[in-house]
Amino acid sequence: MSRKLLINIISIVVLAAIIITLPMALNNVYWTSILVIMGVNVLLVSSLRTIKLLGHISLGHVGFSLIGAYGSALLVMKLGFSFWIAIFLGGLMAAVVALALAYPFLKVKGIYFALLTLLTAETFRLIVRYWPGLTGGFWGLLQIPSPDPITIPLIGTINFANVNNYYYLTAVIVALSLLVLYRLERSHLGFKWIAIQDTEVLAQSVGINVKWHKMLNFAIACFFAGLAGALYAHYQHSLSPDATSRFGVLMSIYLVVYMVVGGESKFAGPIIGTVVLTVISEFGRALGEYQPMMIGGIAIFVMLLMPEGLIGLPKRVKLVYRKLLNQTKRVRRS
Amino acid sequence: MALLEIRNLGKRFGGLAAVSELDLDVGKGEIFGLIGPNGAGKSTVLNMVGGTLFPTRGKIIFNDQDVTRFPPYRRARRGIARVFQRDVLFRSFTVLENVLAGLSMSSSAGFIEIFFKGLSARNQEKAMREKAMEILQFVRLAQQADEMAINLPHGNQRALCLAIAMATQAQLLLLDEPLTGMNDEEIKTMMDLIRTLRDERGITSIVVEHNMRAVAGLCDRAAVLDYGRKIAEGSPKEVVDNPTVIEAYLGVEEDAV
Repeated sequence: MSRKLLINIISIVVLAAIIITLPMALNNVYWTSILVIMGVNVLLVSSLRTIKLLGHISLGHVGFSLIGAYGSALLVMKLGFSFWIAIFLGGLMAAVVALALAYPFLKVKGIYFALLTLLTAETFRLIVRYWPGLTGGFWGLLQIPSPDPITIPLIGTINFANVNNYYYLTAVIVALSLLVLYRLERSHLGFKWIAIQDTEVLAQSVGINVKWHKMLNFAIACFFAGLAGALYAHYQHSLSPDATSRFGVLMSIYLVVYMVVGGESKFAGPIIGTVVLTVISEFGRALGEYQPMMIGGIAIFVMLLMPEGLIGLPKRVKLVYRKLLNQTKRVRRS
Repeated sequence: MALLEIRNLGKRFGGLAAVSELDLDVGKGEIFGLIGPNGAGKSTVLNMVGGTLFPTRGKIIFNDQDVTRFPPYRRARRGIARVFQRDVLFRSFTVLENVLAGLSMSSSAGFIEIFFKGLSARNQEKAMREKAMEILQFVRLAQQADEMAINLPHGNQRALCLAIAMATQAQLLLLDEPLTGMNDEEIKTMMDLIRTLRDERGITSIVVEHNMRAVAGLCDRAAVLDYGRKIAEGSPKEVVDNPTVIEAYLGVEEDAV
């Protein structure tokens, strides 16, 4: 037990050290900006998995991300809110919309839920596209300001127009969000959510308010989708409602692919999936418009050979290793 | 004093009257059998008492409280627990976790416990585990506590279903065909369990069965449904000998052609 704890602490420290030193080691604005987007995606995919705990696959997560992104940006630009409040309000807006939609949505399951969320996200995107007065419409929302600089005694003023600083901001917010999602999953709430996924009728029969828990779960997951969207908006300084933007259908599908390739059975799965696939697709940038084909190929490969996703890889390797070991033993004996 | 009172209960599915004008009283500590041919409306009655179906007319009164319009989770909190027909279990949980899920509504854990577990929360968790183990001992599943629930044999899964219902601290158990698909030994164990629950904990049960022999051996009282109407009520023996009941099960004796 204590040995396991020690290993956990060491791996967390090592991971933190890597995350902290990465931008300095890379020393490359392009790659650091990839890391920022990756962080945003990690949060999106991890919160997508929170919905998956109930057994639902949402194809509309980008829609709630869009609400957070536009919501936060507009609060800052039109109403003069501070970034630090606006990003959380952006997340909250996504959560409120999710809560309102959850009641009718969560009555359906499986493919119907996926379709419903997909169409909802598209609706959000089209509303934004055809409301130029508020959102800039087709041209998108431009000149979204960076977060206000903050002054910390002894360290000095931190200016978030700098990519490295924004990277650290993203890292901190994403890490804290993941901590919340992880604790939620391990708490009595997560326990009840998995119970609901297993069998709704029995969950009700043991006194779990299934409707409320479904709504709560969906709202929490969409809050973090909105937060991720807000983080993206103030980094990119512009938002587009285009179908090929990160609020389009393709991105929705990518998020699910990240989750499945990483392996949705464990908390770390979606994170690993996002990191690995983001890095791979960066190296595949030369393929241009054929890039999605590569991701698709990898997804098919992983699903056929590793149904548990990348997270199941160590177990598989161990299994194969043991098999080989037994074979060599048998050969020696004979 | 009846624990459960059903008054003039009716349920229509479109033009079909699945249950009509049903009056039933189930006393505290009774094992009450609900029998009848296929399609007689037994399961519909059970669903209405459990809350998964709402009646079109009539009232269901439990412990002097009108629960007719309560959703299932609120009835569970009042003390009505269901044991489902097929092996409805939490598939991704171990045996112990299944019982813990049953205990979950007696936990006081709130939002704070998500991030921080104080001493009292940890003590409560420990107490719940002990209680769950105690319940598992009662249904003789303590040895299998850490096995996955779905890996248990059929009879044990049924016993676990009962354990989950017990964990909710139910006063009234709704058992939907608890003996179906069991071998003789499993049937005996299950019947003993239901009886022991009544004798040691005063738990009332309503048992839906079409196995008449089992009902006669288990129940204190029984009612027979046919086409959604109650055609007989009384001790199992009276009910079985009732000519109307025999007619409902076997059809009317006709003169030989």
